[in-house]
Amino acid sequence: MAYEVSIFLENKIGHFERITQILKKNEINIRTMSINDTSNGWGILNLLVNNPQKAYKALEAEGVSVALKEIIALEMKDESGGLHDLLLKVAQAKVNFNNANGRIIQETKSAILILDVPDIADSQKKLMENGLQILDDEKIYGN
Amino acid sequence: MMKEYWQEELEVSSRSSLEKLQIERLNKTIEYAIQSPYYNKLFNKKGISPGSIKNIAQIQDLPFTTKQDLRNNFPYGFLTLPKKEIIRLHSSSGTTGNPTVIFHNRHDINSWANLMARSLFCAGVRDTDVFQNISGYGLFTGGLGFQYGIEALGCLSIPAGAGNSKRQIKLMQDYGTTVAHAIPSYLGRLYEVFEQENLDPKKNTQLHTLVIGAEPHTEEQRQRIEAMFGVKAYNSFGLSEMNGPGVAFECTYQSGLHIWEDAFYVEIIDPETLQPVPDGEYGELVMTTLDREAMPLIRYRTRDITRIIPGKCKCGRVHRRIDRITGRTDDMFIIKGCNVFPMQIEGVLLKIPEVGSDYLITLETVNDVDEMVVEVEVKPNWFSGDIRKLDQLTKQITTQIRDEVLAKPIVKLVEKGSIPRAEGKAVRVADKRNNGLK
Ligand SMILES: [Zn+2]
Repeated sequence: MAYEVSIFLENKIGHFERITQILKKNEINIRTMSINDTSNGWGILNLLVNNPQKAYKALEAEGVSVALKEIIALEMKDESGGLHDLLLKVAQAKVNFNNANGRIIQETKSAILILDVPDIADSQKKLMENGLQILDDEKIYGN
Repeated sequence: MMKEYWQEELEVSSRSSLEKLQIERLNKTIEYAIQSPYYNKLFNKKGISPGSIKNIAQIQDLPFTTKQDLRNNFPYGFLTLPKKEIIRLHSSSGTTGNPTVIFHNRHDINSWANLMARSLFCAGVRDTDVFQNISGYGLFTGGLGFQYGIEALGCLSIPAGAGNSKRQIKLMQDYGTTVAHAIPSYLGRLYEVFEQENLDPKKNTQLHTLVIGAEPHTEEQRQRIEAMFGVKAYNSFGLSEMNGPGVAFECTYQSGLHIWEDAFYVEIIDPETLQPVPDGEYGELVMTTLDREAMPLIRYRTRDITRIIPGKCKCGRVHRRIDRITGRTDDMFIIKGCNVFPMQIEGVLLKIPEVGSDYLITLETVNDVDEMVVEVEVKPNWFSGDIRKLDQLTKQITTQIRDEVLAKPIVKLVEKGSIPRAEGKAVRVADKRNNGLK
């Protein structure tokens, strides 16, 4: 099972910086990040890191509102149309997602798409039935 | 048969006989009051004379008395008797302006001691108990007020005074204390000392009852104290202008505080319109002493916010119940035409497990409209990373606050630690509106 680190964050100067500071201190590498912003003065910061459990513990210890959120990662070709082809297959599998982001893996010249889905087990089943390969943790975190 | 009430004829009589007694005593109170310089002048001007009250609703024709009136007529302006008759005074610290001082003759002290004994009896304290009064003795009314009541009831009294937790614990163990009185915040500290000494109040003391009062506290705090000490904790209410403790007290049903209506006439008013509010609605507590000779007070505006709990108590007492004090009129603000007390908002938030009890209300003018912004801290252990849950939570808090105070707030979720913690009394309201308060 793969995880993203989700953080409740106010849209205020210095708040994001405080998070990256804690991660840096704990020698955690951020692979990708995305922010779900709202108009209510706060948002949710989603981080893919090399060691989610360690990041979670470090942030929690500092009193940050943090959660580990299970995600699904899929491999895609790092070439034009790669994302489109993959998203088409995801749509064919009838899988909805709340949020998505991606990262490139240098050595294999491929990329991964990270999906935050409402129902992990159901989505995994559908994706696999449609011939999509779900990546293992090691490849996602890129240790 | 076991005695159930301290004064059965006064506690479980009928409303009509209680009202008859109130009319009688109100007339007597006016008779005393008119002998004081302050009321003499005021009553003569308004044509109020003793014996003029025929039904109790006429009390609404009498003028209010405020804390400022007491201060302006410091020290003897409200005194009805020659100093020779006076045997004690209690006074507030008077950090702002003149202190508030109340004088008592022997009748007043006896009457107060009796009310205090009645209060304790009603919470299940008996003459077989060992009562440790963890309260400052001196000008503060919690020391001597309780002391005289404990003695009138006939308990073995331990006038322990405030502070020195190790000594308090030793006294409890040496003499087998069964009942103690203290302010709620102190009991938390006392418990910590029990723990430091590797003692458990549940096992190492004979305590069965705690009496808590003199500072506002929530039902949650009471339950925490009860769990820590493994006892029942009863809420005590009083204010120095109305003697001190022994004004209103919880009975063993713990469903509101019986306010002793043979000794005090109780009104709940809207602090803005000064009109009475119906039973069940919150407003300012206004009290008239009905059994005080040296310094009677007529329609005294306590500035405490509470409500009358409608209906009868299971214990059978006819004296109505007030709810725990939810704040002071000084804290009240008006937004969108609604009177709002910060404690109402706190009450809503305390019932929502996802948020902490720290909050900040900011009143501000947005596009010429006054808005109430309520910032609430999200509890870290509740956060799941799901944005929709946070949206739902915002909506839930908004609706519940609106239902409580009738004005729709703008709710903002903030990170834990965002709201500055204050030592002692926290600042809950910041008014940044263009026109200031009101
Ligand atoms: Zn009762």
